[in-house]
Amino acid sequence: MSSELQLIEAAKKGSVAAFTDLVSAHRERLLRFLLTRCSSYADAEDAVQDTLMSAYRYIHSYNSRWRFSTWLYRIALRNAAKIGSSATVDLQELRGDENDPLSECIAASDRENLWLSARRLLTDEVYAAMWLRYVDDMSVNDISAVLERSASWTKVNLLRGRRALGTELNRGSCANKSDDHTGEAYG
Amino acid sequence: MDKLAERLREDADKIDATISVELDERIQASLRGISPEPARRAAPPSRTFSMWWASGITGVAAAVAVFAVINMQQPEPESMTEPAVPPLALPFVDWNARTAVLTGPLQQEYEDLQADLKKAEQVLKDDIGL
Repeated sequence: MSSELQLIEAAKKGSVAAFTDLVSAHRERLLRFLLTRCSSYADAEDAVQDTLMSAYRYIHSYNSRWRFSTWLYRIALRNAAKIGSSATVDLQELRGDENDPLSECIAASDRENLWLSARRLLTDEVYAAMWLRYVDDMSVNDISAVLERSASWTKVNLLRGRRALGTELNRGSCANKSDDHTGEAYG
Repeated sequence: MDKLAERLREDADKIDATISVELDERIQASLRGISPEPARRAAPPSRTFSMWWASGITGVAAAVAVFAVINMQQPEPESMTEPAVPPLALPFVDWNARTAVLTGPLQQEYEDLQADLKKAEQVLKDDIGL
C-alpha cells in the first residue's frame, strides 16, 4: 500500500512511468469489466484508454481514503456510460446477441458462462455490483462509492443478484444431472 | 467461498481480456501527451460569509423599525367596554304655569284668557317702565 501511495505521489509530479506501474495491475481487470459494459471490444479498449487518461490527468483529485481501484472503477463506469450513450447500438439489444463482445471473449464451454446469464437476468447496475463484489473483491462500501449508491441499496441488490444467479446455477446443475440421466438438453 | 462466488470467479477468469500491444502503445502515447492538472486551490473564505452576522443584525434592525412604524400609524384600538355615558342634565325652567281649569264654555274661556293676557302685558309694561 505504501508503494502504491509513493507511485501516486510520483504520478502527481508527472511521472508517466510511475502511473503505468500504478495501473499495471488494474488494466486487464478494467478491460474485462468494461467488456461487459460496452457494445464492442473496440469500445471497451477505448474506454480503458479514456479511463487511464482521465485518472492520470485528475490524479490530484484522488482521495486516499478510498482504494485506488475504487476510484479507477468509478471513472471507468462514467467513461463506459459516455461511450454507451454515444454508441448507436442499444446495449440492451445486445444481450444474447452473437456480436456481444462478452460472449465473443468467453472460451467455448459445455455450459453457459454465468456472467452471460447475469447479463440476461440482471440490470446493468446490479450486474456491475455483482462483478465488483465477486470478481474484484470490493467491499460493500467501495461498491457503493463506485456506483454512487447507498450501502443499503448495494446490499439489497447484491442479495437479489445472488438469488437470481443462484436459481440459474441450480437450474443449470439440475439440467446437467437430467442430461446425464436422460441424454436430453434442459430447456 | 460459496459455490456461487466460486463459479462467478471461475467464469470471470474465462473471459479473455488481454491488453494488446497496440492498445498499450496507444495508452503510453496518450499519457505522454498530457500532464496531471494541478489540484484546485481551495477557495479563500468568502468575505460575505465571514460577515454574515453584520447582515443579520441589519435585517433584524430593519424588521424592528418596520414593526414600530406600522404600530405607531395604527389607530388606537377601540375599547371593548362601553364608555361611561355622562347623565344628561337638562336645564330646569320654571314656567310658572298653571293648569288651565276649564270651568265655563269655550268662548267665555277665550275671553277670560285674552283678559289675562292683557293684564299680563300691562304688568310687563309697568315692570319695564314703558
